[in-house]
Amino acid sequence: MGAATRWVRRGGLSTLLMSLPLLLTFGYFAWFPIGRAIVMSFQKTNLVADPTWVGLDNFTFVLGDPRFWTSVRNTTYFTVLALLFGYPVPLALAVLMSELRRAKGLFSMLAYLPVVVPPVVAVLLWRVFYDASSTGVFNTMLGWLGLGPYPWIQSRSWAMPSLVLQATWANAGTTVIIYLAALSGLPADLYDAAEVDGAGVWRKIWHVTLPQLRGILLITLIVQVIATFQVFTEPYLMTDGGPQNSTTTILLQIYNYAFRFGNYGAATALSVLLALFLAVLSAVYFRVTRSWSTT
Amino acid sequence: MSSRSQDSTERTILSTFDWNRSRVRRAMRTAQGLVLLVLLVTSVGPILWLAKAATSSTQDTLRTPFALWPSGVDSENLSTAWYQADISRYFTNTVWVMLGSCAVQVLVATTGGFVLSVLRPWYAKVVTAAVLATLFVPGVVVLVPLFLTVLHLPVFNTSLLNTYWAVWLPAGANAFNVLLVKRFMDNLPHEVFEAAQVDGAGPFRLLWSIALPMSKPILGVVSIFAALNAWKDFLWPLVVLPDVHMQPLSVRLPTIRETVQLDVYLAALLISLALPITIFLVFQRLFLRGIGLGGAVKG
Amino acid sequence: MRSTRTGVGVVTALAVALGLLAACGDDDEKSDGNGDAAITISVSNLPPETEAGARDAFLQRVDEFEAANPDINVEPDEWEWEASTFAAQLAGGTLPTTFEFPFTDGHALIERGQLADITTEVEGLPYAADFNPSVIKVVQDDAGAIYGVPSAAYGMGLHYNRAMFEQAGLDPDDPPTTWDEVRQDAKAIADATGQAGYAELSQDNTGGWVLTTLTYALGGRMEDGSGDNVTATVNNPETKKALEMLKAMRWEDNSMGANFLFDWGGINQAFAAGQIGMYISGSDVYNSLVTENNITADDYGLTVLPLEGSDSGVLGGGTIVGVNPNVSDEERAAAVKWIDHFYMSKLTDKTAALADAEALAESDAPLGTPTLPIFDEQRLAESDAWVADLVNVPLEQMMSFKNSILDQELVAEPPVMAQELYAELDTVVQAVLTDRNADIDALLETANDNVESLLDAN
Repeated sequence: MGAATRWVRRGGLSTLLMSLPLLLTFGYFAWFPIGRAIVMSFQKTNLVADPTWVGLDNFTFVLGDPRFWTSVRNTTYFTVLALLFGYPVPLALAVLMSELRRAKGLFSMLAYLPVVVPPVVAVLLWRVFYDASSTGVFNTMLGWLGLGPYPWIQSRSWAMPSLVLQATWANAGTTVIIYLAALSGLPADLYDAAEVDGAGVWRKIWHVTLPQLRGILLITLIVQVIATFQVFTEPYLMTDGGPQNSTTTILLQIYNYAFRFGNYGAATALSVLLALFLAVLSAVYFRVTRSWSTT
Repeated sequence: MSSRSQDSTERTILSTFDWNRSRVRRAMRTAQGLVLLVLLVTSVGPILWLAKAATSSTQDTLRTPFALWPSGVDSENLSTAWYQADISRYFTNTVWVMLGSCAVQVLVATTGGFVLSVLRPWYAKVVTAAVLATLFVPGVVVLVPLFLTVLHLPVFNTSLLNTYWAVWLPAGANAFNVLLVKRFMDNLPHEVFEAAQVDGAGPFRLLWSIALPMSKPILGVVSIFAALNAWKDFLWPLVVLPDVHMQPLSVRLPTIRETVQLDVYLAALLISLALPITIFLVFQRLFLRGIGLGGAVKG
Repeated sequence: MRSTRTGVGVVTALAVALGLLAACGDDDEKSDGNGDAAITISVSNLPPETEAGARDAFLQRVDEFEAANPDINVEPDEWEWEASTFAAQLAGGTLPTTFEFPFTDGHALIERGQLADITTEVEGLPYAADFNPSVIKVVQDDAGAIYGVPSAAYGMGLHYNRAMFEQAGLDPDDPPTTWDEVRQDAKAIADATGQAGYAELSQDNTGGWVLTTLTYALGGRMEDGSGDNVTATVNNPETKKALEMLKAMRWEDNSMGANFLFDWGGINQAFAAGQIGMYISGSDVYNSLVTENNITADDYGLTVLPLEGSDSGVLGGGTIVGVNPNVSDEERAAAVKWIDHFYMSKLTDKTAALADAEALAESDAPLGTPTLPIFDEQRLAESDAWVADLVNVPLEQMMSFKNSILDQELVAEPPVMAQELYAELDTVVQAVLTDRNADIDALLETANDNVESLLDAN
């Protein structure tokens, strides 16, 4: 009794109350579902009757599904393409923009503008752009140059690059701004020293800028990989996984299991597999950020 | 030489000397001009095209996408979209979703960050670790179990399906926000809190009168990204708000595509763009600073 | 002073923290607490406010029902069927008492126990014995128990743009009657207009739906057997023939335009915008084309699908009205009463039919689109005749469908895992339309294996 009163007096109760929003939201909507995901991946449920234990059935079902490897391949392909499109371009843009003497704000605003467009609106708009007829928006533009018409999302080989192009447009702005911030924080004397050694512009970039950005480059790389492995909105709204499953990603596959075919067990099993893979990436990421933020 | 390096902390790759070389300057100017052109075409171009197409007839857009209003301006599309396609309702829903998730996220992040950074009860370490751990688990992975939790909330024995709580509350469980605020408060001068405590201020007063006023910048960042993310969110509201009346724009737009003509649909897209872009243009500085601050941690 | 402040703070925090969660706990009580005599049921498919006329008509029928059944209280709901959220809504308790869904999902819902058994209630209806046997089958389990009421039926038809027919020098009153003619006309339209002469649904399981339609029309079937012994027969010669026809139209004739990813709404939109000469969909699609896509009525034409080969037939589908399995006996009885009143009386009772038709016609909602008999042909002709004067759709442009559809054999959708089978076939259709070198045999072989393994797992 006495101890409890003292605890309240000292603010222990108020502190606990103040922690409640965090404890309740995280408890209900983060910690509990994570635990439940693991449990559910060994169960079968139709949401109406009680779930039954099925051992590793969900995992064998998921791994045996021919679309599993298709979706892993597609997701990897998306990630690789997204790196090819989306990695060098923002860096080059940021380097050029960091050299601006004025109107830097205008440039940054322009670069970031597409990020503000809600993804659903962006994807739906690009779906209109990608009209494959010769009077489609992109095909008309390319027609001025005597190119096309191209099939865009209507072809197995074009669909994925088309999705990546849109995703790059939508996301590159963030990376540009991050690089800009990093570039402006580089120590000036390194450039001075390089100049003393007679380095030209390209050598300064190669020997000073890029090595100095190593940490942030690695971070954006991992962040981008983690994000692109969870790509959903683009394939769901643009192609619904088609044509011929060429854009079925892992997340689309999870969605289909759960919400199209009511197989919640398979959906969580695949989720857990994806989580394990991404957790490894995240762990690497945290090691990197930690060592980077201490230097 | 050395005197210049002291005051030029802001210097970049090119030195003043480089700039004075006409070849470098010309190349640089050209490159930057090109960048401006590319940014204008790729960032503003699609939005301008959308604005044009939203006020053109369907046939004009389909046959000659780049002709400027060949058969006149069709300004009725916007009002048709707003009233007939009910965009007004979904717009209001989106604002509602945005305000609620913003409030919940700010509440959780400030109280949580404050407890973990300033009050530091004995369980703070465990909680911090547990919050940090959720960063390792990508949100989508808990999609299905989270959904089942919302269907049947343990202890409360209720379903949040078709209520905005189903969107607001899970939004609060955002580890990034909590850690951002915690890290910010870690850097506040602790003597101020200690002095206030000596004066007899309790935890709530510490938070309200001392921590919050000093944390305004970071709260601005948290709320602006919360607002924008609410506007962007698609998969989660799609799953927990099957009732058409409650759906935000992002969930509704793909369905509307099938139920109206192309011109009205494009008008609906344009309307959906208006608010996020306005918010961005108004709070530009806060945005761009916010990304520099924590964008890298965001994932 | 200090302690009151803290006190206020504590109370505020409690209110905020608990209120967050507690506030959401209060909607459940209503549905349980039926202490008084009145029964409340919620009913689906109330037209949205944007369709004010149809909505008023609906609400009027509700009032009539409540007047006739003073102990039943009806709550209309705009709820519409969505396969992806159905199970969740059932589990989450947000499903209305009665709801509409397509024939396609009938067997899956029955099998998963997601529908109420309403055998007793339905057998009490005066017309219970009159249902068309092939139609009532879609709401029965193997033991013959009834889990829903079929309220409308359609057959697949060929929809065409009369204006584009004319542009191509074809007679819009003489639509194609063989698949060869479909192919020729498609080519003529594509050459003359630069648009797609013929387009095919391919997304969101509709690709499988139409491929199954084509297969039936050529005499093939997608599944064989019944009960637990169903096997997939996706790689049958007729499906192969249908795909080869599509392939020829796509790659040899180039008469299918440039866009091949179409879902149900998307193809309607493109058709109404004059980008498509012909396509296959349910015979009732005109209703959507009018209310949602603003189609020019003069340009619309509908005809039956050509049937070729022995055993060929037209794929039929329709709407089932089901009852939520989680309701009380009284609510279930009231639900079936509502179904009888709202859906069935317009097919069985002249006064009700006229009232319904007048309400629709007044609100300019389409009335008179050809349907198929739920009972028998005679009854359909009868109920059509009651409202003939009020018809507001261009019926003369649909006569080549209406005149011949009853002579075509109606074939039901694949009975087991229809949606999964359709999803598998979407892939095949997309492959043929987007890959010049698609190997039809191999694609069908794979699809068959996949469906077969799903059936086995079932």
